[in-house]
Amino acid sequence: MAVKKLSKEKLGEALGELSKFRLIAPAKSDDVVVFKQIGDAGEAFLGYGNSTVPPKKFAFPQTETLFRFVVGNPELNEKNVEEEGTTVIFGLRPCDARAMAIVDKLFSWDFEDPYYLKRRELTTLVGMACVEPPSVNCFCASVGGNPFGTEGLDMLLTDMGDYYLVQELTDKGKKLAETLSAQLEDAAADDEKKAEQMALDAKGKIRRSIDTAGIPEKLPDLWENELWKKVSAACLGCGICTYLCPTCHCFDIQDEVEEMGEGRRCRMWDSCMFGEYTVHASGHNPRPTRKERTRNRINHKYSYYPEHFEVIACVGCGRCINLCPVNIDILDILDQVVDAS
Amino acid sequence: MVDLTKLREMAKEVISREDVRELIGYRPGTYGFRVRPAFVTGPDDADDLVFTPACVNNLASYIVLEEKLPVKRGEEPDLRKVAVMVKGCDSRALLQQMEEKAYPRERILVLGIPCTGVVDMAKVQARFPDVLEVGEIALEGEKLVLSAGGTKEEVPKEELLADKCTRCRYPTPLVYDELLDAEVERFADDDYADVAEMEKRSAADKWAYWEEKFNRCIRCYSCRNVCPMCYCEDCVLLRLQPQWMRRSVDLSENTAYHISRAYHLAGRCIQCGECQRVCPVDIPLMELNRKFSKDVLELYDYEPGTDVENPPLLSTFKVEDREDFIM
Repeated sequence: MAVKKLSKEKLGEALGELSKFRLIAPAKSDDVVVFKQIGDAGEAFLGYGNSTVPPKKFAFPQTETLFRFVVGNPELNEKNVEEEGTTVIFGLRPCDARAMAIVDKLFSWDFEDPYYLKRRELTTLVGMACVEPPSVNCFCASVGGNPFGTEGLDMLLTDMGDYYLVQELTDKGKKLAETLSAQLEDAAADDEKKAEQMALDAKGKIRRSIDTAGIPEKLPDLWENELWKKVSAACLGCGICTYLCPTCHCFDIQDEVEEMGEGRRCRMWDSCMFGEYTVHASGHNPRPTRKERTRNRINHKYSYYPEHFEVIACVGCGRCINLCPVNIDILDILDQVVDAS
Repeated sequence: MVDLTKLREMAKEVISREDVRELIGYRPGTYGFRVRPAFVTGPDDADDLVFTPACVNNLASYIVLEEKLPVKRGEEPDLRKVAVMVKGCDSRALLQQMEEKAYPRERILVLGIPCTGVVDMAKVQARFPDVLEVGEIALEGEKLVLSAGGTKEEVPKEELLADKCTRCRYPTPLVYDELLDAEVERFADDDYADVAEMEKRSAADKWAYWEEKFNRCIRCYSCRNVCPMCYCEDCVLLRLQPQWMRRSVDLSENTAYHISRAYHLAGRCIQCGECQRVCPVDIPLMELNRKFSKDVLELYDYEPGTDVENPPLLSTFKVEDREDFIM
């Protein structure tokens, strides 16, 4: 696939070109960086480390209407994802793109989720390489990722100073490059080499790490271990760690009344850290306390997922560490898993 | 500053008592300048307890967050006390909980810490974004001294102090069984100037302001869960039949959620600021809560969490209560 470059002067023009699609880019809401649909190029904010909330909601919306119904009418008004149109997510970090590739496995597993998969098919992911790790708690390299990783991406941009190096990675990326043919130029011969060196340097700057070897195999034996009580003691049971996790994908389905006699069935993010998560109709809760819920969070990522899909469902973005109100730190938990016997 | 040797000695003594089950305090965090809540069950665990200006968490929340599982047949419920370390602001949460009869006074043992102020961790993080080593924050006079990985930096305390501390009227806990140090004189006052400023803005202007904030709410419920006053066993949010509040996350429902919560805290919020501190998307929730606090103070001369003998505001009626704002 071809390698091109985009001068920073032409970035606005390129984003303008892309806004003929549904264009999602990092933007500021007060001082918080979030991914949102942008109308004009000026709204995009590329001086960010990483967004507070990952862009997963553009593949897996936090609330998604599946169909609408009217009492007395057997016809269902079903959702048509195609109406959302072609989407470009611009400027997501390699960890967040890799997370989508990991979650794809789940949504195309025993049941092919039509909404999610259609949306993914319509979406092109344009990544921004991490020349500097966005936070002290980044640990992507420990879980199979890379600050310049391309997994899940269709195109990767690397900030080279005055310009971005643009790598086409898939057919979708190639098509997008064609759309931007007026803005892209040929890259210099040694640019790719330079970027390779930058990638090595970036990896060297990652501060935190964990040796995951053996963790997935060990976790089932630690089911009743006292460590779970210890690591969950301070947990508030809020949804920060899971809602801000780019790989967490649990959802609930509910019916909501909109107008008298009209309603909709929708699905929305759920979190295993919530008390009502998987409460049975009988009132029994298989995960009655935060101890079992924390154990579930770690096991889901580091045991069940590798067992089914041969990949750890954690990309090391560090959000759950950065934003936990009580400093529950997944690397600290994993260290205790390694030490436990 | 709290003498750590004294604090740990006291903790050891307390946790060794037969009638104490657990002691909740603070210990160093896993990275940077953070500390985290510590749950001490034996004298040996008391050795890593700390108290520094980084101890932001309101530990009173854990008293009402405790999970009460059914007691197994043949077993007795553990009715021993829980000991909890509180700063002045946090102690108001305990008082308010007790005013509301959330639990009997004898169930807890309060270790009061006269507090000279805690930092705003977001300000610390913004100023020292690259600190990975576990560091320390100490208050020395008017300066905060931050040390990590062999380096030491001094910062004027007003640059990093939490907003609530700059208007703190209760630095010494209002309830305690043991006080860890000499009382601290009140060092600030609260004139609610920030609320008055907000009140001056037009309705359209205020709505535009809150619309931006509520739009980015992800409904993680961290504000609810961390709140020491949010302890209903049956939360209105969990009701599905009928569904009082939809689960869908959009501006309308997010607004309903935050306004409901603010109303439920009217006359109850003790202004520890935890809801705002924990919000991952920086919604300034204390601006709502402080508006209610100001109203309650002006209308009824009532301040929650200051007197355990005071019945909760909304459970009382006096003939002379003002009602001119209703009609």
